[in-house]
Amino acid sequence: MKFRHQTTCGKTFGLTEDFLPEFNEKQQVTAPNDCQDTSQPTHFKMVFILGVNFPERNLLKKSLQTFFGIGGNSSARLMSRFNIHPTCRVGELANKQVLDLTAVLSEMKIENDLRREVLNDIKRMKETGTYRGRRHALGLPVRGQRTRTQIKTPVKLNRMERRL
Amino acid sequence: MASSWCWNCLSRLRPTPRALLPPSATPRISSAPFHSTAVHYAQPAKKKGNSLTVVKHRQSTSLRRKKKKVADRGGRPPAVGERKALRKRIVLSNPNALEIEGMLELSPATMVDSRLRGTVLGLPVPMIDQLRAVQAFKPKQGWSIFRRPGTVLRRDTIEMGRLFEQISGEGDDAQKGKVVKKIITGMKGSGKTVHLLQAMAMGFLKKWAVITVPDARELVSGDTAYAAIEGSNPLQYVQPSATSALLTRTVDANRELLASLKVSQKHPTLKMLKPSSTLEDLAKLGFNDPAVSWPVFQALWTELTATAPAAGLEKDFKPRPPVLVAVDGLAHWMTESAYRSAEFKPIHAHDLAFVHHFLSLLKEGDSLKNGGLLLYATSASNNPNPKGLSIALDRLAARQAGISASSPEYPQPPAYSDADPRVLDLLQPAEKAVSPLELQTLGGLTRDEARGFMEYFARSGLLREIINEQWVSEKWSLSGGGIIGELEKLGRRVGPTASLSK
Repeated sequence: MKFRHQTTCGKTFGLTEDFLPEFNEKQQVTAPNDCQDTSQPTHFKMVFILGVNFPERNLLKKSLQTFFGIGGNSSARLMSRFNIHPTCRVGELANKQVLDLTAVLSEMKIENDLRREVLNDIKRMKETGTYRGRRHALGLPVRGQRTRTQIKTPVKLNRMERRL
Repeated sequence: MASSWCWNCLSRLRPTPRALLPPSATPRISSAPFHSTAVHYAQPAKKKGNSLTVVKHRQSTSLRRKKKKVADRGGRPPAVGERKALRKRIVLSNPNALEIEGMLELSPATMVDSRLRGTVLGLPVPMIDQLRAVQAFKPKQGWSIFRRPGTVLRRDTIEMGRLFEQISGEGDDAQKGKVVKKIITGMKGSGKTVHLLQAMAMGFLKKWAVITVPDARELVSGDTAYAAIEGSNPLQYVQPSATSALLTRTVDANRELLASLKVSQKHPTLKMLKPSSTLEDLAKLGFNDPAVSWPVFQALWTELTATAPAAGLEKDFKPRPPVLVAVDGLAHWMTESAYRSAEFKPIHAHDLAFVHHFLSLLKEGDSLKNGGLLLYATSASNNPNPKGLSIALDRLAARQAGISASSPEYPQPPAYSDADPRVLDLLQPAEKAVSPLELQTLGGLTRDEARGFMEYFARSGLLREIINEQWVSEKWSLSGGGIIGELEKLGRRVGPTASLSK
């Protein structure tokens, strides 16, 4: 994710400022002309997939997995759908394959759409006052784990203002 | 130093009045101060330690350690591909090893000479580039310890040499243009890959067309591009870049031969081809454009197996030579590949067009129209252990031993085992086949061959031993009955063996 935030120059997904303040800071919409990342040397060719530039020597599987909501399984399925071999580099893709991938990715519920959905689910649970909602709000583990030790992750993540 | 006692009156001197001494709390300043502010106006130094830090609500109280910084080793990481190049590097000569006087070379005459059995024959120097091109040498085969690459002439080698002679049509005319299909198995280190290398060397000596797949695994490991062939049923897949690499290998190794043969068939799919172009030109079409590499390979194959020219192209037709096909690591082709279909189902290796082409040669009666040799070696160290291959090979062996398929001794897959029916079917013999599939199992060297091999080590200066009957016999037993890979380990290990045997 670190790399993506440095070089992203894609669209944001129309989130309001108070809803997801952190992403909006990271994914500022910039003018198209500013998209060129001048810090990269010019001999790096970049491939543009769903609004994100990837260096062509990167593995496609790893590059797809940088999208929120795409893991090992979905990236493998996506690639086999277009007959792309598992160790393909981004630079080896034909133009058509890039377009196909982008078309499919843009129809999937990933990135901020998915984040919004997850956050809405948590919010709904909190509002209806369910046990899981309460646990989310209290910063405690939600799924019945012990709380005596090892609850770093819920402490970190489960807040009233939950972020993803 | 004056004492504080007065020696005349032996009374103690009066101490200096306190009022004259400077106050002890304030330091005496002998030089000009750097700061104009007095020291005691300064803020008291903060205490070290975390007694003042407030533990946050619900913060974990477990031990926190500072992460160690990774020490910068300096220098840049190796360039892209450098480490792989080092790993795959093949060294064929060791200038420190002694040159062997009177070492014979592999030639059409020596390769069938049974008097030379057990001697190590050098590979002809001009051929080494060709052998490199077909990737006959493997990185860990120990070529780098000798002055020049050479191989032992063992019984299997001489038999193969005679086979080459027969198929080329020297001697018995009835055998000319025969197709021999062999699957080569054997223990680890028994010399299967070097047997293929010897076959390739003989192929080059006899001016055959040599086509090799040096590593069968590369085709199925999911490391090269693949694409479905539209309209094929069952759906097959081409591997354009692997095919392109095959064409490159073939042209590099057989350049002289391919340049001398002209196109004799019509290839409507390849429009850029002229009637006067050679097979080298044909194969080169597939080098740079992987998109056409598969049709180009198919065209090259029809050209190589052509027995007569097509109408209108008779002018420059020359009879085609026999073909040697050598594949190493056959077991990888007997299982599902790492590729997935569009529905995310694993693709069976037999559904890859490249693999299917080479495997179908085993199945068909006269797959090589101008004769030739098919050598498909298994590997003992890099074996995916596909279900059904071992039983299929056992069946082949049983059939060779004369056990009929209806006999109770004929090997059957164990009950409830999921032996791959495609594999069993592939190696099933056709009824009354013209050229049946054979199984060749490489064993160890005989003692005489082992002696010749160990003498080669001694004459290269790698082994300081007196090679006699007893010593060879000992090493022959230690190497599991003359397994050549084990013999090589014993031969190159100078220190411990030398001291033990004395």
